[in-house]
Amino acid sequence: MANAAAHAVEDGVEAPAKRDFLKILTVSAGAVALGATAWPFIDALNPTTAELAVSNPIIEVGGIAPNTGLRVMWLGQPIYIRKLTPQQIADNQAVVPSSLPDPADYTDRVKPGYESFVVVVGLNTGISCELLGNSPTDPRGPLDGWTCPCDGSIYDPLGRVRSGPAPKNLAIPRFTFLNATQIQLG
Amino acid sequence: MSDQTKSWLDSRLPLAACFRAQVCDKPLPANRPYLSALGTLITGTLIFLMLSGAVLSAYYVASDHGAYNSIQFIMRNVNDGWLIRSFHATGTTMLFAAVYLAIFHALITGAYRLPGELVWGLKLAFLLLMMLVGYLGYAMQDGAVSHWSLHDVTLAGAGLSSFPGNISNWVLGGPAGHGTLGHVAMMHGLLTFIALGVLVLHYYAKQAVAPVAKKTVPLHPYYTSHHFVAVSVYVLLFAVLVFFAPHLGENPLNAAPANPLLVPAVMTPPWYLLPAAAVTHALPGTEGGIVAFFAAFAVLFAMPWLDRSDPRSEPGFLYKLLVVILGLDVIALGMTAAAGPSTINAILMIIFIGWYFLHFLVLTPLVTARESK
Repeated sequence: MANAAAHAVEDGVEAPAKRDFLKILTVSAGAVALGATAWPFIDALNPTTAELAVSNPIIEVGGIAPNTGLRVMWLGQPIYIRKLTPQQIADNQAVVPSSLPDPADYTDRVKPGYESFVVVVGLNTGISCELLGNSPTDPRGPLDGWTCPCDGSIYDPLGRVRSGPAPKNLAIPRFTFLNATQIQLG
Repeated sequence: MSDQTKSWLDSRLPLAACFRAQVCDKPLPANRPYLSALGTLITGTLIFLMLSGAVLSAYYVASDHGAYNSIQFIMRNVNDGWLIRSFHATGTTMLFAAVYLAIFHALITGAYRLPGELVWGLKLAFLLLMMLVGYLGYAMQDGAVSHWSLHDVTLAGAGLSSFPGNISNWVLGGPAGHGTLGHVAMMHGLLTFIALGVLVLHYYAKQAVAPVAKKTVPLHPYYTSHHFVAVSVYVLLFAVLVFFAPHLGENPLNAAPANPLLVPAVMTPPWYLLPAAAVTHALPGTEGGIVAFFAAFAVLFAMPWLDRSDPRSEPGFLYKLLVVILGLDVIALGMTAAAGPSTINAILMIIFIGWYFLHFLVLTPLVTARESK
């Protein structure tokens, strides 16, 4: 009995630092173990390397001739990459944004330094039909952009809606120019 | 949290007070053994299995051609997928080990006796549910063995289809069986939640009939630190198995994809189903197997009434010895099922099954009645 009482004093009062240290050590070890166990559960929900490989493709755009477009499928959507002619650039820079159904400036639609490339999702913003106009022989409408075969909406070469039921400009996917001839989607 | 927010929350949802009363300050008998941590371990493992199963279900494809390939995808491509699957498989092993140990402990201490019959029944219901869930999870792998096992068992369901309802269709997902794995996966998840509910009922039933303790201590810090020791040992064993024996007790033939045109030579289920599988072979035919399986459980459920002793008395030595022999008998029964079909095995199996029923229906009433005099 006396022994036990002495022990309690040693643990509880005379050696509080030791007890605190053990308590902190145990709790921290438990927290580290819990975190280490939780990590694989969370990491397993991250995309696999196979998914990452297809989700950020690099597209060669150096070979696109002016006035033509490239169509690539990305995450299930058609991505249109169009190279504009100097005439189309000049025409569209002259447009006053406030006169458009969905006002957007030239600089809003292109990346600085790469003003001749337009990258858009090639789906009409009204009825979701795929647009025509990547090839110069397609029906491009009066503005030399894209047209919708389903509802007749007309887009300019920057992908801004000019007329038709479609309410909005074409969506611009996330992308970056790696250099003058390569873009990376995503 | 400010005092105002605290009082607002406490007056509407007294979480802190509930946590204090139910966990921190909950009075418990001062002399509980380490095995009293089994409930904590079983509940914790079940929740761990639910979490790892939830992550696996993000990638598992429940279809004839997709299931096997999706598991290969989990093992090879998903980040840490091999580890999550190993957690899930080994967690099942740990859970069954703990449940079998809890059942054995209840048998040898006589904890099933009145007024603990409902606690005992809920324990057995949990084991029964876990056997179903474990089997369905095994079938979900769609390996060379589990495919044929599921084929046999769904035929067992078909054998029951003359009963009201249509068990065969519920399990098979229609006459052609193309939805089978989808139904199996659905049942695997659903029954797990029901099993968690059974654990909650078991917890309250056990509290209701617990004898009043002479000396009590609060759960925290006494039993939190006490259980911490049990949990540490358990987790250590768990980790060793996860990293060094992830396929413990599995039939290696099941690692090959299912082949509907080739029945495997040895149809061994995972280790935790071996005794049950042996029992289903005791009577001929599909219906015979079902009857034998439920008879084996029925005698367990009947234990509170087969035991003729005074519920307040300590179980006698002979009774305890018989329970140990019963444990060895069940293990031996599982080993005959693992060894595959042969004449000597068939004879041994009948002897072991015979001893099992003899233990419950004859020896237990005789010995307990004699020892309580």
